[in-house]
Amino acid sequence: MEYLIQAFSLLFGSDPELRQIIGVTLQMSLLSTSISSLLGIPLGTLIGSSDFRGKKWVQRVNNTLMGLPPVVAGLIVLLILSRSGPLGKLKLLYTVTSMVVAQVLLITPIITGLTANLVSLRAPQIRETTAGLGISPFKRMLYTAYDCRVQFISTILAGFGRAIAEVGAVQIVGGNVQYKTRVMTTAIMQQTNMGHFEFAIALGIVLLLISFIINALVQKLSDGQEEPA
Amino acid sequence: MIQLTNVSKQYAGRTILEIPELTFESGKRYALIGVNGSGKTTLLRLMAGTLQADCGQIRGVPLADMGYMPQSPYAFSFSVRKNVEIALQKSTQPAEKALAALAAVGLEKLAEARGDKLSGGETQRMAFARMIACPRALLLLDEPTSSMDIKGTDQIENQLLRYAAENGSTVILSTHSPAQALRLAQEVVYLDQGKVVEQGSTEQVIKHPRMESTRLFLQHWRL
Repeated sequence: MEYLIQAFSLLFGSDPELRQIIGVTLQMSLLSTSISSLLGIPLGTLIGSSDFRGKKWVQRVNNTLMGLPPVVAGLIVLLILSRSGPLGKLKLLYTVTSMVVAQVLLITPIITGLTANLVSLRAPQIRETTAGLGISPFKRMLYTAYDCRVQFISTILAGFGRAIAEVGAVQIVGGNVQYKTRVMTTAIMQQTNMGHFEFAIALGIVLLLISFIINALVQKLSDGQEEPA
Repeated sequence: MIQLTNVSKQYAGRTILEIPELTFESGKRYALIGVNGSGKTTLLRLMAGTLQADCGQIRGVPLADMGYMPQSPYAFSFSVRKNVEIALQKSTQPAEKALAALAAVGLEKLAEARGDKLSGGETQRMAFARMIACPRALLLLDEPTSSMDIKGTDQIENQLLRYAAENGSTVILSTHSPAQALRLAQEVVYLDQGKVVEQGSTEQVIKHPRMESTRLFLQHWRL
């Protein structure tokens, strides 16, 4: 109980490190989710709405990447960005950029897969209808994307939820550097190890609050879709 | 003229359509009749190009000047008017033409409603409005009134006859109902288990069937 009271006083206080950690976390998660959405939604729409040679293989590879362990993603990015790696000259390791790259690697397959799944539910009926009207495959994709827009937002929010709660990859490539690359999840781990439970609880409350807001948004969007016109 | 030669289609190891020879003349109205699973939809989909035949040739389908209305047409979540407008991408004044087509099928009051909120019968009427919104050389209609009430069916049938006469279009529609075939078609193709059993003028096939299986199918209908 004492930890909880201290956690709330930290939250409503003006601890600069706490605010900085929350800021870096949001910056990293929003950026990685945006990039992943820009890549994953068009790709998922293309996979879900089209039939092409090798589609099943593309789906299998994507499904495998959806389950990519975060530490493996972190390791891959670490090897690429480390001084002896192919992109070592960019000196991006232990920066927010490297954390965003690792998260994009993790989240893009998730957004692609979820998008492809929801598009493929409507695709046969849409394909049949649009082909009968002489509508081009490109326009068919645009119309399909328009009709799935609410579900796309749910997909993006699911990606954001994954990004903000991720710890393994960002720990490896970000290094949990104070006032630089420390995010909520890595900070909770560290503060718990150090016995600073009030700080860890305060961050946990913020994480839960963000998760609640995301779920409420998804729920509201889903309800809005069901309302009569 | 549309000509099918040695066309066959298999699904899960079962032959669902096998047509050695079948011809549809331009400007005529045809009805494909038969029980569920007789191959009506498969035949229409093969002609529309949404399904590929395993072998054989289909010649003479004016793909660029054709409208195909599937059994379950999709209604997009934008307005009913816009749902019809998407069928008019090469036309001038698409909004006016879409509204005229919607008025012809009795949906003018729902023009600004969301397409995905229509009932099954209304969705079929909207899909039919897409078909008649511009002149087409060929209409392929898969059970176009299956979800409609009698009034709606009557309205669509009248519009189809008027449209075909005005534009000289070839119409090939599938239906379970020989009565509808009598009202709409000049020629009937009776399909059973993926094969053309009987073909000829509507009066002849429906009122004086030559084949036993056609007679068995028609005896369920009090015509």
